[in-house]
Amino acid sequence: MPIVKYITTDQLLVWVNALIAAQTVYGVQAKEQRFAYDALADAADLRLDFDVTILPPKKFFQPLVETIMKFHVDGHYESVTSEEPFIIFGVHPYDVVAIAQMDEVFRANYADTHYLSRRERATIVACDIQNASPSMFAACMGTATVEDGFDILLTKIGDGYVVDVRTAKGEALLVALGDAPDADAGTLARREQFWDDARRFLNKYLLKCKPTDLPALLEDQYEHAIWEHNAGLCYSCGSCNMVCPTCYCFDVQDEVDWTLEKGTRVRKWDSCMLRDFATVAGGHNFRRRREERYRHRFYRKGQYLWQRMGQIACVGCGRCTTACTAKIANPVELYNTLMEG
Amino acid sequence: MSKPRVAIFDFACCEGCQLQIVNMEEELLDLLTHIEPVEWREAMSESSERYDIAIIEGSITRQQDEERLKLIRSRAKVLIALGACATLGGVNKLANGFDDLNEVKKCVYGDAARMPHLLTGQVKAVSEVVPVDYSVHGCPINAEEFGYVIRCLLRGTTPVIPNFPVCVDCKMRESTCRFEYGEICLGPITRAGCGAPCPAAGMWCFGCRGYVDEPNINGARDVMERYRKTVDDLKSRMALFNTGQEQPHA
Ligand code: SF4
Ligand code: SF4
Ligand code: SF4
Ligand code: SF4
Ligand code: SF4
Repeated sequence: MPIVKYITTDQLLVWVNALIAAQTVYGVQAKEQRFAYDALADAADLRLDFDVTILPPKKFFQPLVETIMKFHVDGHYESVTSEEPFIIFGVHPYDVVAIAQMDEVFRANYADTHYLSRRERATIVACDIQNASPSMFAACMGTATVEDGFDILLTKIGDGYVVDVRTAKGEALLVALGDAPDADAGTLARREQFWDDARRFLNKYLLKCKPTDLPALLEDQYEHAIWEHNAGLCYSCGSCNMVCPTCYCFDVQDEVDWTLEKGTRVRKWDSCMLRDFATVAGGHNFRRRREERYRHRFYRKGQYLWQRMGQIACVGCGRCTTACTAKIANPVELYNTLMEG
Repeated sequence: MSKPRVAIFDFACCEGCQLQIVNMEEELLDLLTHIEPVEWREAMSESSERYDIAIIEGSITRQQDEERLKLIRSRAKVLIALGACATLGGVNKLANGFDDLNEVKKCVYGDAARMPHLLTGQVKAVSEVVPVDYSVHGCPINAEEFGYVIRCLLRGTTPVIPNFPVCVDCKMRESTCRFEYGEICLGPITRAGCGAPCPAAGMWCFGCRGYVDEPNINGARDVMERYRKTVDDLKSRMALFNTGQEQPHA
């Protein structure tokens, strides 16, 4: 039997505070005029009415800067993985989809133990979208709602939340909730209506084709004038990659401490838009031109990952559009321009 | 192995970068187990003509300074430019933007402008006078990065200094972009590595670490229109640290 409860907002606060007392909880909080995930100290700081966070929740599975190994220059080393369990509270459906995609990427070929160790210890409390972000197009991408990929899904209906529990990990969190009634048929019907609306209306931009048409669309647009035109404005600043929930590139560097003998190997987020990203040993850069890098991102999102895994690597969160100071990163505008020929 | 002998010299600057080194606290002791300081006006009274590593702080403004710098270069195996004054010419280079330097001097120093120690000319970065092996960017420098560069030097490895824009650091910090507040920020053309403290503190990046390689300044000019700003707005921001670097073609 699936567990679907209905709780008041007051109950939600009490529940979250009980969870905070027991373990690490990351939740969406206000940051200046925007939102960000951070360690939650008080349920009152949780903002489930957020539109979008600056960085996606992938930062908890693939930290911005992560020590993956400790070493001694004599050749001894020891791999470092994190074993701490944690909860992420307030993950929007498009990010749930992105996390599932990253799980596949990090499991494929060589299983990335650093990522997977964190991922396996995480409990994801998803939350349906209450406010649309300025540049989103999740409805176009089919990511405005989700069926799976989370442990619990919260949906605000009326003055309370439907708490839909899908996994054993999710059930474990219910202990802290205590008694709560099951959601009644009327509430569930309202939730269906809410989902229907989300799937139709959660768009600030309209993609003029189906996401699955993108690989074919890109097929013969390699020489389109838009690449060069927009690249003329591109700073190669990497913001569009940094904020994207489906970008996962990293760079690995070794650093020694003041003993000059012991050190750490760290990996940091990297970005294919940066000038030196594709520079390989010997100094050769296989995507030297700004235009090549600018084009690459849209091909990677719309075609390359499709060819590898059968998925489109864009979930329509709109973060890149907002983050780009040159205003040239919007995937919808770009793909629609290609469609015009 | 004997410790490398290190000398720190200051030219035209506020000495704020040296202060960052003095303030390294425990790390300063770590540093001193690996190097032997032989000249460092801000921290010791001795001086020496024998050193392996010369660290240069400040910009070069007078003929006699150029001579002194060339002499230092000839004595040092490795030369490090420390801080924006040394790596870029720094704020001192603002003076180069004026047609009549004598007017500037009178305005700044009044009657004292004719004193011999103020016989300044065009302001130069260290690399405009002698070859520089390593640059530690910033105004002031970041002591952590300075320590990293020294450790690389001691280990014989090449330090990896970011060659990407400050926006990367800024996004990592999840600051709201200054452009969203309607301000111009130089982050997209400025070299990262500082951790973007300025946007995090509510200020635009004024470019103290200098440009990245190949900054898209022409693009920046076009982007200004998208924010209803002008190229002059952009240029006025760039003047502070980037006079004499690649200029926007207005
Ligand atoms: S490409 Fe842009 S809209 Fe698509 S997932 Fe990445 S950040 Fe979101
Ligand atoms: S497209 Fe925009 S955000 Fe991306 S690298 Fe270029 S300027 Fe930066
Ligand atoms: S770079 Fe800045 S802090 Fe350093 S000496 Fe020059 S003015 Fe002072
Ligand atoms: S505030 Fe400046 S440095 Fe930060 S993202 Fe915006 S333009 Fe880049
Ligand atoms: S944000 Fe810009 S001005 Fe501030 S320290 Fe970094 S480079 Fe310098």
